[in-house]
Amino acid sequence: MAHPREGWRGHGVPRVRSAEGSGALHASPPAGAGRRAFLTGSAALAAAGLLAGCASDIAGTGTLPLPRPRHPVTWPAFAGNAAIKPGRSPEQHATLQVYTWEAYINQDVVNAFAKKFKCKVQITTFNTMNEALSKLRSGLSYDVLVGATVDVLGQLIEGKLVQPLNHGYLPNIANAWPDFINPFYDQGWQYTVPYTIYTTGLTWRKDKVHENPSAMASPWAMPWQPKYRGRVAILDDYREGISLGLLKNGVHDLNTTDYRQIGAARKALEDLTGMVNLKISSTEYTQVPAGETWISTAWSGDMAAAASYMPKGVDVSVVGYWFPADGRGPVANDTNVILSSATSPVLAHEFLNFFLDLDNVLNNISWNGYMQPLTGVTPKVLIDQQILPPSLTSTVVTPAYFRRGVSELQLPVDADALWQQAWLVVSNGI
Amino acid sequence: MTAKKATAPRFWIALAVPGMIWLLVLFIVPVYAVLAIAMGKLDQMLEAPVAVWSPLDWSSSNVIDVWRDIFGSASFAGPILARTIAYTAIAALVCLLIGYPCAYFVARFAGRRKGLFLVLLIAPFWISYMMRMLAWIDLLATGGYVNKALGWLGIGPVNWLGGHSVTVVFGLVYGYIPYLIMVLFAGLDRIDGSLLEAGRDLGLGRVRTFIHVTLPLSRQPILTGLLITVLPMLGDYYTNQMLSGAAHTSMIGNLIQGQLGTPGLEGQGAVLSLLLLLVLLIPMVYYVIATNREAASR
Repeated sequence: MAHPREGWRGHGVPRVRSAEGSGALHASPPAGAGRRAFLTGSAALAAAGLLAGCASDIAGTGTLPLPRPRHPVTWPAFAGNAAIKPGRSPEQHATLQVYTWEAYINQDVVNAFAKKFKCKVQITTFNTMNEALSKLRSGLSYDVLVGATVDVLGQLIEGKLVQPLNHGYLPNIANAWPDFINPFYDQGWQYTVPYTIYTTGLTWRKDKVHENPSAMASPWAMPWQPKYRGRVAILDDYREGISLGLLKNGVHDLNTTDYRQIGAARKALEDLTGMVNLKISSTEYTQVPAGETWISTAWSGDMAAAASYMPKGVDVSVVGYWFPADGRGPVANDTNVILSSATSPVLAHEFLNFFLDLDNVLNNISWNGYMQPLTGVTPKVLIDQQILPPSLTSTVVTPAYFRRGVSELQLPVDADALWQQAWLVVSNGI
Repeated sequence: MTAKKATAPRFWIALAVPGMIWLLVLFIVPVYAVLAIAMGKLDQMLEAPVAVWSPLDWSSSNVIDVWRDIFGSASFAGPILARTIAYTAIAALVCLLIGYPCAYFVARFAGRRKGLFLVLLIAPFWISYMMRMLAWIDLLATGGYVNKALGWLGIGPVNWLGGHSVTVVFGLVYGYIPYLIMVLFAGLDRIDGSLLEAGRDLGLGRVRTFIHVTLPLSRQPILTGLLITVLPMLGDYYTNQMLSGAAHTSMIGNLIQGQLGTPGLEGQGAVLSLLLLLVLLIPMVYYVIATNREAASR
């Protein structure tokens, strides 16, 4: 009889604490005053619902491994969810259903794919990964998920929402950086191919703010300046938000499960809120070029496209983007996967392969700004092809960043609850 | 004759069936689904809510968590609730102060141009709420027309979009005032002119006629108008998100939106949504009682 763990070869770090405790995690504060102190901190934190949940309120059992660079994961193969057989032809006159983030794929490239394979491509968008997961779990059927984040791969794979890849249909993987041919989050790239890569850094208007983070002793503390009150923003994302607090405090473990570090990061952000009347928004890639916001955290891919948002008569060179020169900053990548509900799986493989072709990738980057990890995508190529302005070369992601950088990866459930609760307090101005 | 009498009520009941089906499918069922999530469980592995449909299996943990969030010693939703009530009350008052004279003018003095004014009042509804708020972002920007106009008076520039309560309240007023004006206009337009003439004939001046005749007769339209504007304001999150985005101006709608978008906290978001629904029922019930009382007094 088949078993859900049939073929399981994974290791990694368990996502859910066992009854005995894993020993490696220290998300929950020590019993008694410690935990209370975290919950009631200076601004009074909500009782952590997830932490408080008793056993009868929890449905489902089992664990998901937590991929880490030092604990790579080989995902299992499940009976009844095998990769497609080799040698098949793409489905004829089919409509490929693509599910992706809003504004995350160049329609011109999609149209070129449709023309080449004589098919139709229907794109449906989502706004959050949580929304996408909910809809996929509810049974909505698509062929390809473009932009799956690394932190939800466990849920997608263990939930049997994605199918294993047949590598024979994906020869263009040879164009990708070697790091992504055997990534720690999916050893042997059984289920994923890389899509976009990006860093999280600081963006600022050079004509309004005269400090340069490169010259500052503590660049991540740049937003903590009361003279820029009303002009400072951070990304509206609980991981990015709390991570900024951690980095400002000198903590580079962006997957920390230490309640003291998370509490200190929350406190730093609360201070920032009071100091500058902090704006929490994910549209600062338009507001910084517009001059409404002067300092903000931002994703490199958004800022690479800053030229598109500049007001008339203002040169893009007034927009700066900083990421640590030594690469020790938040770096991430998204992936493309084929859903197990795919009705055109061969075409879906061809689609993934199409988006690993250099010309198509450059065309895609020229529209959405987000780099893809192909060896042919270099700063020189991006500047020569006028995809990237020379003043924003700092938005370019290099392979070294994925070796020295720090990634925000999936957290154990109880630590995730601490992060979320800390962010709820910060983002609601309590 | 008897058969005809028996058929008549059935006919009228049959007319209500489409409305009842509508109510069942688009209100009762969705609310029960929210209730099933609120009283449901959490799939810890997937950090996803699990709806529990049978009341016998319901869990109270989400309700207890939200109760502690609002009233517990570590309350964190309490200040957000207070802020929401304050913003809504101020915005509703400003709406009334601006909307009443406007509706009064159209009802009493617009004459043949009443139709034109009504069209102008309805015009904002032709554009989506989101587009109107996006337009205000451009208008209120540092280099926008509002600051340019203030510049001519030697004021500013004002950083309207820097996360200020006044901008949020302004957004709420702008977004919802047409609803209030339309309701007030409908009520004021129906006031019998002979009552006002009677007041004047009895020696009342313009102001005293207004205070003793018009104002009492417009109490019901004011109540209806305020109800129609206050209810959506209390649940609004978009205005705040677009015109402020600052943590210090967050309203209960923003908190609910944040919880519903956070893996593992959807259950608490569902409880808060239902609590908001219960709170909104209070003015609705008061409205029904006040309307019945007024009808009985006629």
